Formats: sequence, structure tokens, C-alpha cells
Amino acid sequence: MAEAIQKKLKAEVEKYAQMQKDVSKSMSARQKLETQLAENNIVKEELDLLNSSNVVYKLIGPVLVKQDVDEAKATVAKRLEYINGEIQRYESVLKEMEKKSEQHREVLTSLQQEFQKAQGLAAGKV
Amino acid sequence: MAEKGQTNVEHLGGVVRLREQHEKVVKDCESRMQHWRKVSGDYEALTDRLQTLPDQLSYDIMVPFGPLAFMPGKLVHTNEITVLLGDNWFAKCSAKQAQKIVDHRMKYVKNELDDLSKTMKNFEARVGFAKDLETISASKGDYVDIREEVGNNDSALTKGKQRIAHKPNSKPKLDVVWDLKEEDEEDEGERGDGGSRKGVMTEEELWARLDELEKLEELQDEQDRLSDNADMNGEDTSSSSSEEEKEAEAAPPVNGLSLKPSWSSISDSKAPLSTDRKKDDEEEEDNCLPTIFFSHTVEPKKVRINTGKNTTLKFSERKEQKEHSKRKKKNGHNNGHCHHELHKITTPADIYRLFVDVKNGEPIPRKSILKSRSRENSVCSDTSESSAADFEERRMIGRSFSHDEHSDTSDGITEEDSPTTVPLQLPSRYELLYFHFSLLQAFSGTVIEKDPMPSAVPHLTISPPALPTILERKQEEVAPDVSPPQQLPKRVSKFKAARLQQK
Repeated sequence: MAEAIQKKLKAEVEKYAQMQKDVSKSMSARQKLETQLAENNIVKEELDLLNSSNVVYKLIGPVLVKQDVDEAKATVAKRLEYINGEIQRYESVLKEMEKKSEQHREVLTSLQQEFQKAQGLAAGKV
Repeated sequence: MAEKGQTNVEHLGGVVRLREQHEKVVKDCESRMQHWRKVSGDYEALTDRLQTLPDQLSYDIMVPFGPLAFMPGKLVHTNEITVLLGDNWFAKCSAKQAQKIVDHRMKYVKNELDDLSKTMKNFEARVGFAKDLETISASKGDYVDIREEVGNNDSALTKGKQRIAHKPNSKPKLDVVWDLKEEDEEDEGERGDGGSRKGVMTEEELWARLDELEKLEELQDEQDRLSDNADMNGEDTSSSSSEEEKEAEAAPPVNGLSLKPSWSSISDSKAPLSTDRKKDDEEEEDNCLPTIFFSHTVEPKKVRINTGKNTTLKFSERKEQKEHSKRKKKNGHNNGHCHHELHKITTPADIYRLFVDVKNGEPIPRKSILKSRSRENSVCSDTSESSAADFEERRMIGRSFSHDEHSDTSDGITEEDSPTTVPLQLPSRYELLYFHFSLLQAFSGTVIEKDPMPSAVPHLTISPPALPTILERKQEEVAPDVSPPQQLPKRVSKFKAARLQQK
């Protein structure tokens, strides 16, 4: 009895660990996105400071590619939007994962209790 | 103490950990701030460079050639600056434009620094608090945490009982309703009146209904008296029917279920006489025999003074019927169905109306409600035994109430009527009082009547207890006028005699 519970407990713990990993992954991705967001905001603002006389380059690999100022601005704006969307998506995913992990936690605790009881019984018997 | 020590240790551990976490955060903030400060320094240097760079067209510099070598070279295009905007974006701009960008960045850096410093302050405060807590739980410092063990709701209990919030009129009405309902049932059952009442009517409706029924009964009584001897209550031809009806009426409207059977049984034998007497004694105005119904009592017992013989009008113990009792006067109705309306005594005239003996098919006002016939009619002939003691009390009560107005008459009455009154078993003194009050209302003014009844009536008011007895007895006994005072002790016997007579 106790062993069975123990096995169950282990399985549950593994699942829970997995879930936690997923959650942390999502979290980190989200954080990245946030930094990018901040950066792109700065770029946008700085691009606004420039006028059309100066040239804008984009670094693609080892090559600096000339870009139009307006184009650059548009591109940056698009990127900003994209980043925002990604962040929201990640947030929703994170919420779901949180819920799941909560459920798992509950299951784990209940199993733990059972296990302890069983252990206690076993100890008593023994 | 051990427990406390243990808790302290636990607390201590927790507090320590808390403090450590706070300190971590503070450290982190510190490092970030350092970073930003560095950046800020760099940007300031850059600003300086940018300002000086366009001064010359070209500069002779030692160009770094790999990680280990330098070579002499020139710095040209001093005004062209390729600025990394972020996210792999570059922009070629003049020094001044670059300067603008740098300024912009500086702003951002400064913001970051400010936020970090705020966070750091917060956490530093928390750390301080945690430290204090630590010392407290360890009982090392000057501060001591005051702890009180919570008792088992000893003091939390309310002093008084827990109050239950009753909805208004949620309960009390029930009784009344029930009573009325009983009355209704009784009415219908007994008299077979057409008055089919609804299950539960409001008081006003009931009163109105009673009025109607009363009137009907009066008419019926007239006829019954002429035709029937044995009516519902077995009253006399003239009086019996009316009495029966009266009593029947009395019963239904009041809760006196218990009374009814006794009353009816008694009335059967005594009815004939009682009704007559009652009528004689009581009312002159109305044809019907008014029966006194105590509003508090559902039963006819109320005061069927008229019933005389059987008048075992027992006052039901309901105080709820107070109002009824107030309104009701002694009804010498042969009808016995004292509608509440009828019983309502608001003026002295009502009394005469109510207490009317029916003789020969005509309502004759009684000379005295309380009187002798009242003796005969004393209701409580049956119950006199037990009431002997009560009577005394009642008399006293009656006297006490009546002292103001009818003291004179009361004295006389009490004397006279004592025997009659005593036997009446009043359910409670309260009812007597109420009855008394109700009667007092009626007799607020001087009674101007030719008949001796007026004199009797006040008596009636004075000794409420006597009322029922008197009324009842009137019908019963023919020789009531005999000294009532004497009968006090002998009341029992007299009533019994009366009863026997009737039988």
C-alpha cells in the first residue's frame, strides 16, 4: 500500500517538475520579449529624432544594408506590434500553465498525505 | 513556555529567511544600479567626445590593429557618426544628431536608475523590519511581541441571549388568525349561519362579518323565539334561540372552543330561562340578546350573561382577544352569536342594546345587567366552586377599577352581584381587566336611562368578573335578587341550585 502510494507520488512529482519547467521556459521567453520591446521602443524614438537626410542601415549578419528612414521606421513599428502580440500570447499560456501546476500541486499534497498516513500505519504495524 | 520557545524558534527561522530574501533583492538592485551608473558615465563621456570631435576635420590617432597592435592612422569624417539604434538598426547621422540620441538614451538610463533606487529603498526597509522581528522573536532585543492566548469565546459571548430577528408580525398574528378561524368554523358549524366565513379574515372583516351575522341572528332569533324552544344551545323559546345563537355566535367568534360544549350543554337546560332574564336585565334597545363576548376569548363564554343558567361562559385565556372583549358587551343576544360588532361597547347605549332580555319574543331591556336575574344568570354556576376564591379577587379588582366612576354603584353591585360574579370562572384577571376597561369605555358618561338597567350596567362595568356571571345567571335563575353578598360564600351552592332549577 505504501509502496504503491510512493510510486504514485513519484510519478506525480515528475509531472509536476515538468510542468514547472515549462512554466519557467515561458517565463523566460516572455522576459526576453519584454527587453526587446523596450529596445524597439527606444529605436523608434531615436529614429523619430532623425530626419530623412541621414542614412539608416540594418545589420543583417555581417552586412550593413542600407535602409530607408521611413522604411526603417515602419519596420520598427511592425516589430513592436509583433512583440506586443507575442507577449500577450505568452501571458495566456503562462496562466494556463499556472493553473495546471496548481492542480498538480494539490494532487501532490493529497498523495503526500496519503503516503504519510500509510507510512504511519506501516510504522504502527511494524 | 516550551511551546512559546518553539514558536519563537520557528518564527525566528522564518524571519531569518525572510530577511535573507529581502537582502538578496537589495543586493540585486544594487548591482543593477551600478550597471546603470556605469552606462550613464559612458554616455557622458560620449557626449563630451561628440562635442569636440567635429572641431577638426581629421585626427591622427593610433588605430588598434587586432588585440595586440596599434598602428598610426587618421580619423576622418568626424561629423559622420553611425549610431546603433538597437535591435541591429544603425543610423548615420551628424554629431549633433548623435548627441540628441545620446541625450535621449541618457534619459532612459536615468529612469532605470530611479526605479531601482526606489525598489532598493523598499526592500531595505523590509530588511530592517525583518531584523527587528528577528530580535523580537529571539527575545533578544528591547521590543517584545505581546501575545495573548485566545480563550474559548469566553468573553466573546454576548452578555445576553442571542437575539433572533423576528420579522414583524410574523408570529403574533398566527394566534389571532387561528382564533378567528376557529370562530369562523364554529360559527358556521354551530349555527348553520349562512355566514360562511372565509378561512382567515382580517379583524376588520371579521367584525363586519360579525355585524352582519348579528343582524341576521337577530332576525332569526325573533323567529326562533317564536317558533323554537330548543335551539342550538337549547335555550328557551324566546330566549333560548336567541341565547343559543348568541352563544353560538359568541363561540365562533371567540376561541372558546372549550367553552362551547359546556356552554351549550348548560344552555340547553337553562336557556329558556336565561334568555328571558338576560333580556330583561340587559338591553332595551336591541331585540336580540346580547351576549357578552370577551374579545380575548373566542368562546362564547364570554359573557353570556343571558345564558344565565348554563352560562358557563368561560373566558378563554387569550389576551389577544382583548380588543374583542373591549368591544363586546355583554350580549344578551339570544342569537348567541355575538358578532364582534355587537359586542362592541362604545357607548352606554350599547350596553342596553346588548343586554336585552328577550321575553315573549321581544327584547326587553334588562333592569340590571348584573342583577339578579343576574344571579340566576350568573354564568358560573357550574364553575362557581372553583371560582369562589377567584371571585373575591375579582371583586377586588373590579372595585379597584371602578372606584373612579362607579364607585357608588359598584359597591352596591358588588355586594349584590358578588355571588353571581364569583362563580364565573374568568380565565384570567387580565381578561377581567380588559373587560372592565371596555365597559368603562362604554360608561364613560352618565347613564341616563329610565330603566333600572342603567344602574345595573355600571355595576357591570365595575365588576367585570361579575359580568359574565350576571348575564348568565339572569337567564338561569329567577330569584337572583336575593342578597348577593350573602351568596358570596354560598355562591357555589346558589349556582348549583340555579342549575338544578333549570334542569
